[in-house]
Amino acid sequence: MTKLAIEVSKLTKIFSQNNKAIDDLDLKISEGEILSLLGPNGAGKSTTIRVLSTLSGFDEGKVLVDGIDVDTDPETVRQTIGVVAQQTGVDYFMTGRENLMIQGRLYKMKKGDILARITELSKYFELEKSIDRLVSTYSGGMRRKLDIATALIHRPKILYLDEPTLGLDIHSRKLLWKYIEELNRKFGLTILLTTHYLEEADSLSNHVAIINEGKIQIIGTPEELKSSIHGDSVVVSFETAGEKEKAYAEQLKQDGIAKETVWEGNNLHLYVEDGASSIPQIMEQASQHGLQVTTLSLARPTLDDVFLKYTGTSMVDNGEEEVEEWWHQWAGKGGGGNWKEWNEDEDGSGDGQDWKGNEWVNSDGSSKDDAPDADASEWGGNEWVNSDGTTKVDFKETASPATEETSEKQADWKGNEWVNKDGDQKGDWGDSPDWEGNEWVNKEGKPKDDWDADSKSNKS
Amino acid sequence: MISDTWHLFNKYMTITMRMPLWALFTLIQPLIWLLIFGALFGKFVQTGEQNYVDFMVPGILIMTVLFGSSWSGVSLLREISAGSVDRMLVAPVSRVAIVLSRVMHSAVQVLAQTLIILIVVWVMGSTISMNPINVVLALTVIFLLGVGFAALSNGFAIILQREEPLVMIGNLMTLPLMFFSSALVPTEFMPKWIQLIAMANPISYAVESVRAILTTPIDTMLFFKGFAIMLVFAFATLAWAVNAFKSLRD
Repeated sequence: MTKLAIEVSKLTKIFSQNNKAIDDLDLKISEGEILSLLGPNGAGKSTTIRVLSTLSGFDEGKVLVDGIDVDTDPETVRQTIGVVAQQTGVDYFMTGRENLMIQGRLYKMKKGDILARITELSKYFELEKSIDRLVSTYSGGMRRKLDIATALIHRPKILYLDEPTLGLDIHSRKLLWKYIEELNRKFGLTILLTTHYLEEADSLSNHVAIINEGKIQIIGTPEELKSSIHGDSVVVSFETAGEKEKAYAEQLKQDGIAKETVWEGNNLHLYVEDGASSIPQIMEQASQHGLQVTTLSLARPTLDDVFLKYTGTSMVDNGEEEVEEWWHQWAGKGGGGNWKEWNEDEDGSGDGQDWKGNEWVNSDGSSKDDAPDADASEWGGNEWVNSDGTTKVDFKETASPATEETSEKQADWKGNEWVNKDGDQKGDWGDSPDWEGNEWVNKEGKPKDDWDADSKSNKS
Repeated sequence: MISDTWHLFNKYMTITMRMPLWALFTLIQPLIWLLIFGALFGKFVQTGEQNYVDFMVPGILIMTVLFGSSWSGVSLLREISAGSVDRMLVAPVSRVAIVLSRVMHSAVQVLAQTLIILIVVWVMGSTISMNPINVVLALTVIFLLGVGFAALSNGFAIILQREEPLVMIGNLMTLPLMFFSSALVPTEFMPKWIQLIAMANPISYAVESVRAILTTPIDTMLFFKGFAIMLVFAFATLAWAVNAFKSLRD
């Protein structure tokens, strides 16, 4: 039988009389597995991590980490775990090496051992070149990598990651997933992570636990959870969700057309055996109830459906809000109307939440505009960076399935520049709010296809 | 605990040394006070045989300590919100060391600042004693006062958990404590009710102790009285701050 790395029984944490942050929570995590705690804001994810990492006390229950009681022997538990909290926690006015060194010292490691470990970790996280730079010069993704490296300095057996990819762009996020997956697979690290991202939980975890109001609602492998919702998911949207609509939903359930119904705002989620054959009945019932359906969609159940079923809210909604907020931020910094399409094209997913003000830079970090005469062949190591200097990963290393096709296309582009329709060269992206009609040109000035067309061809 | 304190103290010193100019900026205010108050009150305040600037120098040194160490808690709150404190707390590090290193860093910083002020006033022609033994003894009292106020600031930071009330308390703490002490005027010069407040004010004892060892006539008894009071003050506030920090676990 596999040994348990974490065993939580009947854990309760009360913040105030009417506020149970954790309510009778049970959780078991086997050694060497990745478990994701998925839940809405305030569900108790971070509080659970804080209790498990000895940062927070609790009112009832028992928590064993690697067989050690966190309440009676927190010192030993601290030697066993590595914690990456939501805030980075690394000191910005120290170098990466100094951050790792001080953390190693706090774990009472010998200097030689710390130095060897720094070499090992900086190589693993590809931070060798920046390890002696101040952290204030790091990109968000690099800071996160350093953060994880710092948590691993003392070779813990268990790693807690609290929203590790929050605020990172899609590419940095996928790169971190690769590291997390490898840490588990290659080094046998047990990982407990909390996340808002369904895709993250789905692709990384052996088990997913959906947590809401301080309780684990359901736990299983991602596939088990998805298959727990049999059949198809049909979403019927109305202008309002009034009495008539509610009666209609009830009727569908009574008639056996829908096995389950969940309301989310004005959207009615129906779980049916066979979507295609149910749709005519769903529409017919709607017209019998005198209802006007705004939109109707049919899909296979996703983790979001499982999440909706057990929490009553949708994770996708949260994501959309983030995108909206992000676009507002970007809008204040200038940019053209083609941005969104380019963004969809770039990461292949269409969400492109975290990209602002990107530009080309060559491998030594200088911007394309800094080297207008550079030979095209020298432009091998181009990278994307956003307006605050956050470096994207080398194009040639872009290997995620969603971007492969796009990357191959872009990797062929050496010495490209932005020009507007009058042929003027673009400068810094963030300072040019009035750019319209941008085009790609290569260094000979030969224009590339129209931007929109390029975007469409890449997407196809 | 000692090794943890040393490593964390080194960390804070490394960060301070990366921006030494900021530490120097805090010297401007005490020096301005020295110039303005010296010029304004020199002719009116009766300080016996001493000239007023010599009388004021110990007060200005103590003011530097107050202004320098009373804000130590603000950076603790920033460290808490940035996640740096959690990063320390998840490690098997002594909780006492986390507070002690911060307080020591703050006290050493004000020690360096007061040393610079001493050199400046000496260059400006002050006749205070620059005998190394007297200076070291005066700096000991200054260090203890720095520890005490940095500990108070850190303790309040942990209890209040917010920057705004902490800054308010810092402001309330520094100026009234200065004016209700013998830092700028002799106690005899004060109305009776201020004299009573000054007697309960630790700043008065620190100022009188430093004045007793740096200005003539040297009064070692008065110095050691202030030293003993500062020792008790530093230990009591430090114990209170450490206790507050231990209860930080939510």
